[in-house]
Parts: sequence; C-alpha cells; structure tokens
Amino acid sequence: MVKRKVAALEKIDADFASLQYKIRRDPKSYKDDFLKQWEQYEAQREIFFTSPTTAAADTVESFHNMIDLIAHVADCYPEETRTFQDDLKAIVAQHHETLHPELRDKVVGSLVLLRRKEVIDSTSLLTTLFPILVSSRSKSMREMLFQKILSDMRNSNSKSTNHPLNRTIQAVLYNLVTADRSSPRAIWAIKLTRELWKRQVWTDAKPVDVMKEACLADNEKVIVGATRFFLGGDKEREELEDESSDEEIDLAKVKHQITINKKSRKQKEAYRKAVDKVKKQEKKKSKPHPLNFSALHLLHDPQLFAEQLFEKHLQGTKNKLSLDTKLLVLQLVTRLVGLHKLTIVPLYSWFIKYLTPKQQSVTSILASLAQGVHNLVPPDALEPLIQKIANEFVSEASASEVAAVGLNAIREICSRQSLAMTETLLQDLVQYRKSKDKGVMMAAKGLLSLYREVGAEMLKKRDRGKDATMGLSSGMMKQRKFGEEEIGGIEGLDLLAKWKEEQRKRKRAEKGLPEDGSDGSDDEKDADEDDGWEIDSDDSSDSGEWINVEHSSDEEDEPAPKKRKGENAADDDEDEDEDEEANAEDEAAELERMTKLATTTILTPADLAKLQELRAAASVQKAMGARTRKRQTNNDANNNGTTHQDDGLTAENIEAPIRLRKLTKEEKVALAKEGKPDRDEHKSTQAIRKSKKDAAGKSTSNREKQRKKNFLMTLGKAKSKQKRSLVETRKVLRGHVERSTRGGRRRNGT
Amino acid sequence: MGSSARKKQEKKKDFQKPKYKVGKAKPKASNFTDTSFKSKAIVMNQQSLSTAAPDVVQQFKHNLSLASSSRSDKQRRDALAYLTSQLSSHPPINPVGTNILLSKLLPLISDSSTPVRSQLLKLLRVLPEEEAKHSTEQAIMFIRAGMTHLSADISGDSLGVMEWLLDVAEDELVTIPGGWVKTLSTFCVTMGWSLASTVPGWTSAARSSLRAKDAQTLARQISILSRFLQAGLRSETAAVPSSEEYWDSFYGLPRSSNAFEYLNLFGSRRDEEGEMYPNREARQQVFYRRFFEPVTKGIEKVKKEGGAAGRAAVGLDQVLKDGMGDYAASAGMDAQDLLNLW
Repeated sequence: MVKRKVAALEKIDADFASLQYKIRRDPKSYKDDFLKQWEQYEAQREIFFTSPTTAAADTVESFHNMIDLIAHVADCYPEETRTFQDDLKAIVAQHHETLHPELRDKVVGSLVLLRRKEVIDSTSLLTTLFPILVSSRSKSMREMLFQKILSDMRNSNSKSTNHPLNRTIQAVLYNLVTADRSSPRAIWAIKLTRELWKRQVWTDAKPVDVMKEACLADNEKVIVGATRFFLGGDKEREELEDESSDEEIDLAKVKHQITINKKSRKQKEAYRKAVDKVKKQEKKKSKPHPLNFSALHLLHDPQLFAEQLFEKHLQGTKNKLSLDTKLLVLQLVTRLVGLHKLTIVPLYSWFIKYLTPKQQSVTSILASLAQGVHNLVPPDALEPLIQKIANEFVSEASASEVAAVGLNAIREICSRQSLAMTETLLQDLVQYRKSKDKGVMMAAKGLLSLYREVGAEMLKKRDRGKDATMGLSSGMMKQRKFGEEEIGGIEGLDLLAKWKEEQRKRKRAEKGLPEDGSDGSDDEKDADEDDGWEIDSDDSSDSGEWINVEHSSDEEDEPAPKKRKGENAADDDEDEDEDEEANAEDEAAELERMTKLATTTILTPADLAKLQELRAAASVQKAMGARTRKRQTNNDANNNGTTHQDDGLTAENIEAPIRLRKLTKEEKVALAKEGKPDRDEHKSTQAIRKSKKDAAGKSTSNREKQRKKNFLMTLGKAKSKQKRSLVETRKVLRGHVERSTRGGRRRNGT
Repeated sequence: MGSSARKKQEKKKDFQKPKYKVGKAKPKASNFTDTSFKSKAIVMNQQSLSTAAPDVVQQFKHNLSLASSSRSDKQRRDALAYLTSQLSSHPPINPVGTNILLSKLLPLISDSSTPVRSQLLKLLRVLPEEEAKHSTEQAIMFIRAGMTHLSADISGDSLGVMEWLLDVAEDELVTIPGGWVKTLSTFCVTMGWSLASTVPGWTSAARSSLRAKDAQTLARQISILSRFLQAGLRSETAAVPSSEEYWDSFYGLPRSSNAFEYLNLFGSRRDEEGEMYPNREARQQVFYRRFFEPVTKGIEKVKKEGGAAGRAAVGLDQVLKDGMGDYAASAGMDAQDLLNLW
C-alpha cells in the first residue's frame, strides 16, 4: 500500500498518534473525540464489509488506522468497545484469505494487543488464531500467527502454569492430529508442541500423547516431525536450559564501568537490569530442580505404541515411506523397545533382509538393531541375526571398514544380550584382533574384552585373561542366565560408605583412639548422623577432604562388589599400610557391609547431598584420570558406564572410531592444529614439545635415548656388526625376508 | 616500500592534480565508464497507436479512473472537473451510469485535498436526481465516514454532501436500513451530544471548540440535522387508495431497486442500528427512546450559547416540536422487542 502524500496542514489535523497519546493520558476528557473515532471506525467497517475483497488502497489504509487507534485505547473504554473484539475476530476468521496483507497483520496484531491489555483472554485469542494458522495459505501469515500463538502461550504460563488454557490447547491439538490422519495440517500441532516442550512450558503426558498420535499419522511429514520429537526433543530441551544458564553477568564489572564512563540514565537502567538478572539467576539456582521426565518415559502404554508403529510403518509392504523416514521410525521403535524392555518378536526377523553391506545406510540400521536388544529378548531370535552379520560383514574378503562395522555391531548387540552368541562364532571373531587394520583390531578387542566380563567360558582358555581365569576358578564369575537380573543398588553408595568410614577414622584419631577400633562405633555413627541431618551443617567443612575422597573413589567405582574382589586385593598393594594385605578380605567384607548402608540406615538429606558431590567428583576423576582407563573401556563395553541408557545408539558408535575413518579436510586441519604449541616464544616445535614433556616429568622415547647415547658406548656394537660371521649374517637376512613375506612382525591379517 | 626513484615517482603520480586547460575537454576520470550505446532499433513492448483521437466514452472512463485512483490531487481535481463538464452538457454524457459513477467517486468524500472535495460536490449537484436516489445506501455510508473524520475540514465538507443527499433523496435516506439511527448517532457524536448516560456532576467535558469557525460548523450541523429530522418526522399523508395500485402491489413487478429489502433475505442479521424504519411512527419511537434526551439537552446548551448556532438550535427545537408533538410513548410491541426475543 503506497501511502498517499499528506499535506502539511492535514498532517497536524489527522494525527492519530497524538490523539491516541492524549486519549491514553486522559480518557475521560477525550471521550467525545473517542466516540467520534468510534463512529468513524463503524463507518469504515461498514464500507469495508461492502466489498472486503476489492477494497481500494485508501479504504484499507484508513480502516487500518482506525483499527490501530481503537485497539490501543480499547482498555480505556471497555463499555463502548464491547463489540470490537468480535468484529476483529470475524474479520480475520472470514476474510483472512483475501484481506490485504498489512491489514490482516494489523488485525492479528490488534487482537494480540487486546490480549496483552487483558481485554480478551488467551483461550478466545488462541481459539481464533489457531484455525487460521492451520488453514491459511500465506506463509508470512502462518509464520506470524505461529509466533504470536507461541509467545502468548509462553506469557500466560510465565508466572504460573495456566492449566485450563494448556488443557484447552492440548485438546485442540489432539483433535487436530486425530481428526484427519492423512492431512498435513497436523504439522502445526507438532511444531507448537515441540516448541513448548523445548521451553519447558509443557512437561506432562498430554503433549506426549499428541505426539504419539502424530507418529501414527498417514502423512509422511507429520510422521517425521513427531518421530524427531521423540528422538531429539529432550536433548533440545536440555541444551536450551544449559544455554540460558550459561550467560553469566559480572556485576562488579558493570559497576566498575559505571564509575568510569559517563553517567547516564541508560547506564543506570542497564545496571538495574543486570542486578535483576543476577537475582533471578540466583533464585533459579536455589530452586529445586524441576523433575522433568523425558518424553519417552511419559508415554502411556509404550508396548502398544511400539507395536502399532512397527506394524503401520515398517512391517507391511503397503507403506510408501522413504528410507530416511523408515530409518527414523525404526530408531524410535527400537529405542522404545530397548528403553522399556518391550517384546516385539517379529521386529528381529524383519531386520534380516536389511543386513547386507550393500544396504543403504546400513550402519544406522545396525545401530537400531543393537539399540532394540535388551536382556529379555530371546537369544534364539537374535542368533540368526548375529550369524548373518558375521557372514555378510566379517570376512577376509570384505573391506576392513565393513568388517569393523560388523564386529562393532555384534559387540553392541552382545553387550545387551550376551547369550545370543555361540561359542565357535565368538572364537572365530575374536581372532580378528590380530588384524592389521586398526579398526578391525580394535573392534575385535572390544568384543574380546566384553566376553571376558560377561561370558568367559565361551572364550578359549588363553584368551580369557588373568581376571577372568581367576574369577572362573574361584567360582566368583558366572555367566548370567536368561532373565537373571543384577542386584541393584544406589549408584555411588560405596563412595559414601568409604567416605563415612574415613571420617570415622579421622575423628577417632583426633580423639586418640586406635583407628580401627570397633567399640561403640555405632553410637558415634548415630551421633554423626544426628548433627549431619541438615545439609548446610557440614557442607563447607569438607572442602579439604574431597581430594582424599577422589583418590579412593577410583578404586571403588564399580558398583558390583562380586567382580571387584581380585582387583581390590591388587589395588590395595599400592596403599601405604603394610598389614593391609592380610586384612584385605576383612576390608572387603566391611565395605560390603557398608554398601548395605541403604538397607540398614536412613539416608539423611546431608548424606544425599554428599552422595551427589562424591558421584560428581568420581565422574570428573574418571574423565580425567589415566589410571582408570582400562576399566572405563570395560564399562563402555558393558554399557553401564558413561553412556546413559536414555541416550540412543547412533550409527557413529557402530562405525569405526573417528580417527580411523578417512578424514575430511576440516578434520585434518583441526587435528594438525591440536598438537601445535602456541607460538609465544620463537622456538622450534620440537624444542617446545620437549620442554613441555620435561616439565611434565615424562620419560624420553627409545629413539631419543639412542640418539643421546654416548658415542663411545655405541662403538662396540657397530664394530661387532662388522665382525659378524657369514652364518650370522645369513640368519639376519633370512629373518628379514621371512618377515617381509609374512607381512611384518605382527603378521599379515587373519 | 618503493625505494627506487622510479617507484617514488610512480607513487607521486596518484596524488597529482590534473591540470585543466581552457578550450580542451576535461580529462576523463580513471574510473570512467562509457555508458553510451548504439542500437539499430528500439523495441517497445506495448504501445497504443491510433490515428483517431480517443472517443468520448474512452475519455470519460479514463478520467473516471484518474479521479478515483490518481495519486496527484491536481489530476484528481481536473478529472473531476472534466466529468462535471461532461455531465452538465446537454444532453448529459454518462456512458457508465450514475450508480457506477457514484460507487467510484464516493470514497473521495474523505479525500485529503480540499479542491477535490469541493469539485466532487459540484459534480454531485449535476447528477440526475432520479438516478442518484438508488445509491443512497452507499452514499450515506461514506458520508458518515466523512462526517466523523478526524480532520475538521473533511467533516465540514461532508456536511455539504449530506445536504446534497437530503435534497436528492430524503425519503430514501430515512427509510433505508441503518439510515435513520446510525445517521442520527453520527450527528450526535460529531456535535458532542453524548449518547451514553450523562456524567454525574456539573462539569461536562468542555467543548474544545470556542473558535468562531467551530461555532459556524456547529450551526451548519444543527441546521442540517434539523433538515434530516424534518424529513424523518414529517407527517405522512396517506395516498388515496386506488384499486389499481392495490392490485399492482400483488401482481405488478416492483419498480424500486431492492424491493424486498425489508425481508433481509441475504444480508446479515441486523441489530437495532442497522434496522429499517419504514414509517414515521417507528422512527418516532426509536428516536424517542435513544435520541430525544441528548438532543433536547444539546439544544438547551447551544441555545444558551447563542449566536448563529443558537439560532439554528431554535429552528431545530421547532422541528422537534412539530415532529414529536403528536408522539405518545406507546406500550405496544415494536421492532426492538421482537429483536430482543430473537
């Protein structure tokens, strides 16, 4: 709409802005003016309604202005403008397709303005806007409506959750999704739900229900949207939360700046805002963490849902979903199966035809398969799958990447259901650890170490390793039977027990008693607990000890007490106490008793807080410490360590580790830059590296030792080389030839 | 860093001022681009070539479109003047018909330029009355919009148009849907006679107008209102019934533009304001209920102010007395009761 030029005099005359300002300042005195404008509005509306589609630009503009004015002053004259909201609603509902875009936006904006002035309530606004959002054909209009709806939902939930409104909207969305399964309109329900879920406005089961219904739709877009929500919605939510808590404001800095710079109202305002923000953040910190369940956990009847998904989108031959969509749905189904331990037997046989190296994006299919396995899946169902993977992927003839993928997939499956493996196959596969390709070698080693833990009998004797052999001979290690569950415990409880024990010892030492006396210890413990009931009471005093605790924690981070026994004995050697060796058995028994802490005592809030702290410290230690590396890899293989069960398995996990793949240029550059020292001083790279190494107290390499060796000391060997007899020389040369034919010291492939 | 003498020389060159000489062309700048072009032919996409001048019909239509949609106010005024001259010639030339002409030109009532509005009024005056009658409904809408316009000039000029409409079609004006009540309320609002319940206390919002010009406008408004009321409240004389007309009402084809308007078969539901008030009694009734009090109060107030407005108010008072003198608030059913029932 090109605005007609307005003459200067008229501009003063027809100044809506100033009139609006005056009316808002003093509504009573300007009532006459307002009434005149109201009549004008009525007249314009009448003119407009005679031909809404073919209205001239002038008419549209003047109507636009009138709506703007009335909307801004509507709250001053609620009685006179009673009909205004209904007019607007009628206009936008009936004519949104044909209205002039600017006028349309103005009407919607005015409705939102009325909502902000609380002339109308959210429900009526949203029930007006939502049908238009769904049916409108204009992209900009939909975008705007979506924004407005979203912001209104957020605003009305900002102070406290507006349950009635949420219920209404959720019902609308649910109906939208279920009313017509094949229409793409449901995409708006998905978008809205996802956005509100992300911002934690909706956290209950109802939106999950909406998404669940959307997953079972017929429209591919809708299916993809809803499936993506289940696969990534919660992560998105967490990320957003982290992001919002990240930005810290340095109040001191802001204050300091104010003293230096020119004082102005703007700065004062900025300072006030900063203070507000800091206060808000502090308040947020002290608030209890909101218990937000993930969408997958809030599902009602996941078994039925997973079955329906599988039958509708995967199993039949009728469905026409693209492979990408199918993969997404498959991911969701298997994730549900793995997470809730569901039983869908046809799922596993369905996989068979996809398990070939030629299959497109086979790695994510393999990942889905592994994800869908849990310890209650019958091994009979999995055995043919593993056999097929082994046959198709793992052979000398196949490329090393393929073999690595196959081995990794088998490992992931077996880590969830170890009974699915047969002895001969396992022994065959384990032999790939001699492979020259690093990926294959690592994958085979992973499989080996897994079975050392979960099924050492199936391995050949020499492959079992020390721990497993000892465990088997002492009868401590047994393969778990089908359906057998591990004895559960509270994660990190042993850490707490250990800490308590140390505290007790320290106290006794302070009193001058022998450290490990047991008389009256129970009373003491009780006393401890009594004053340790409040969290704050012993929170700050422990700051000195927690390094101590860390030290002990890495010995104890394995929750199952059975397996640890041998290790415990070995670890205890490092401790200073001489007589500990003899007491190792007692110590273990004592710890086990303490681990039962939860069953014998009531954990106080202070205990729980300490437990949290210890757990965090242990995880930090685990992430940093080199000593626990071996055990950590075992944990990875067991999948009860760093990765949580809620996180799904991705194709990345199945593929070879990133270092072994062919790198892209960016990755190469990043890798090259990684090791480079910063160029503060102008030295050679090697010199800087060496000084760094020295500073860290690390030893030199063999090559370096060789190079640094005194010249005179090397003379002897050099001479003897010349003096070698023919036979000796022949031997050396033969050895060289033989090595080269076999493929190096480590032999060529198996 | 150019160290050699040659390089230094080269550098210097950049900063040397070009020397202009009399009688010689200005040296071209270094970044000069030659934009001239040569072409054998110039092709034009569309062109209307005709040997004859555009005929009258074409010209009329062209001017009509100029008047209704040109951006320049001078052009609009000139186009209106042309149309006026065409319409006032003998016989009047009007190829599009009065109805379409009006629907195009009525939005100009709220035009921002004064010459255009005055020219429009002149044009309206030359339109044939019989044909203009049929556009009453449309016209009154734009007049109402004009009367309540924020700009005082426009609302003043639209009174002139109102006068024209009263001259042309006063009977239609008061009987068409919305014509009676809506127009009355527009009058009341523009004059500041508030329709809502009176504010308690002595002081009312002072009329922002004590200037001479506003007083003049007020007088004009009152006099036109009195004309309007006169038209609406005039006593009707029943025509002598003739048998021919009686049968015609059953079997004859209706002559008016929208004969079954009162049935409102296709429009939206009307409220009290948009209702038709076809006879005097109905008009009296609704006037008494909604406007009598504010109007009488307003009259009192203006009378006290005196001057031209006071004189006009006396006239209005007289009209009111004539029109409402024989009215007695009846307890009978009226349209409003029926509407409330619905």
